[in-house]
Amino acid sequence: MKVSDTMLIALMRRAQDGDATAYRTLLSSAESWLRGFFARRIASAEVDDLVQETLISLHRKRATYDPTRPFLPWLAAIARYRWVDRLRQTYRAAADSLDGDLPVDSHEDVVTAQVSIDRLLAQISPAQAQVIAMVKIDGLSIIEAAAKSGQSESLVKVNIHRGLKKLATLVESE
Amino acid sequence: MSIFSIEQLVDDLTPVRRLNGWHAALAVAAMTALAIAVTAWRYGLRGDVMIGAPVPMVLVRASVLALLGTASLTAVIDSARPRVGRHSNGWSWMLGLALTFPLLTIALSISTATMPHAEMTATSAYWCLGISLSAALLIGTAITLWLRRGAVTVAGHTAWLVGLCAGAFGTFAYSLHCPSSTVAYIGIWYTAAVGTSAVAGRLILPPLLRW
Repeated sequence: MKVSDTMLIALMRRAQDGDATAYRTLLSSAESWLRGFFARRIASAEVDDLVQETLISLHRKRATYDPTRPFLPWLAAIARYRWVDRLRQTYRAAADSLDGDLPVDSHEDVVTAQVSIDRLLAQISPAQAQVIAMVKIDGLSIIEAAAKSGQSESLVKVNIHRGLKKLATLVESE
Repeated sequence: MSIFSIEQLVDDLTPVRRLNGWHAALAVAAMTALAIAVTAWRYGLRGDVMIGAPVPMVLVRASVLALLGTASLTAVIDSARPRVGRHSNGWSWMLGLALTFPLLTIALSISTATMPHAEMTATSAYWCLGISLSAALLIGTAITLWLRRGAVTVAGHTAWLVGLCAGAFGTFAYSLHCPSSTVAYIGIWYTAAVGTSAVAGRLILPPLLRW
């Protein structure tokens, strides 16, 4: 069932006052809305984690909601924050891995390159987008990506590092 | 997410007091008042300020600093709540206004072909930076503690605004003691104090604001 923003505002106001029934309804509605929000942006395997993280953040930061303002933009901002935070962690992990060999299966922990991927990748250089897609989405190793793209292994690593950094900036500035 | 997880959050539900921006404003006002009181007690205020008849330049610089601090504080309060879309940007206009002092200093130096040596080497500059930045630290700490109760979603930008706000109010506190009333002194040392505070905020605060 789709709940209007006006209804969500009322539910959140009551939840802030400690009404458990209103809160349960609100969380269920927020959960389905968040699933739609993240489904358009990240790989389906990661949706559950981000929905859960966002709902926990909603819970922790419920005092920051102002009932005179719309609810969904507030929730969307929290969802985007969790998404960017995940991106930042991924970027750091990728940056750290540049010091050594990038594990072949590290893409499983990487949501970054799967985020709004077509639109975002179009905004970075083709060389960066190509190797990010190969390593972070398709799961190729650095060596395989280097062979396939014609870039050296070190250049693949540098392009992934710079590309992810730029992606993080792009998402944060949206 | 499973129903069980939602039930966990519901079980943990307690009534909350909504985040109130006025608390931040009161904290900043109190810390600024404290900084002014300590400055007055330790170093004394300007004579014209003490008799309630400050010279125009003191009024102008104090007003600009107070406006810059207020505008950036408004933006900081705004950023404590997650939201999508336009944010308060009055601070950028006030920053533009404040930048007239250093720009005027440069323009005067060029037009007269002389450097403001007296202001550049003034011994009071150490006090200007010391008092302004100490006060900024006090004010910035109060804002940061309040912000940590909120949910900042753009940490870097907010950190910069906290530094700017704290620097503006900290320098405002110093300006009531400051013996100089020249444009060059304000353009050099006040700019340095506010700028240092803003940069320090940008560099130090983001990890403290993330959640």
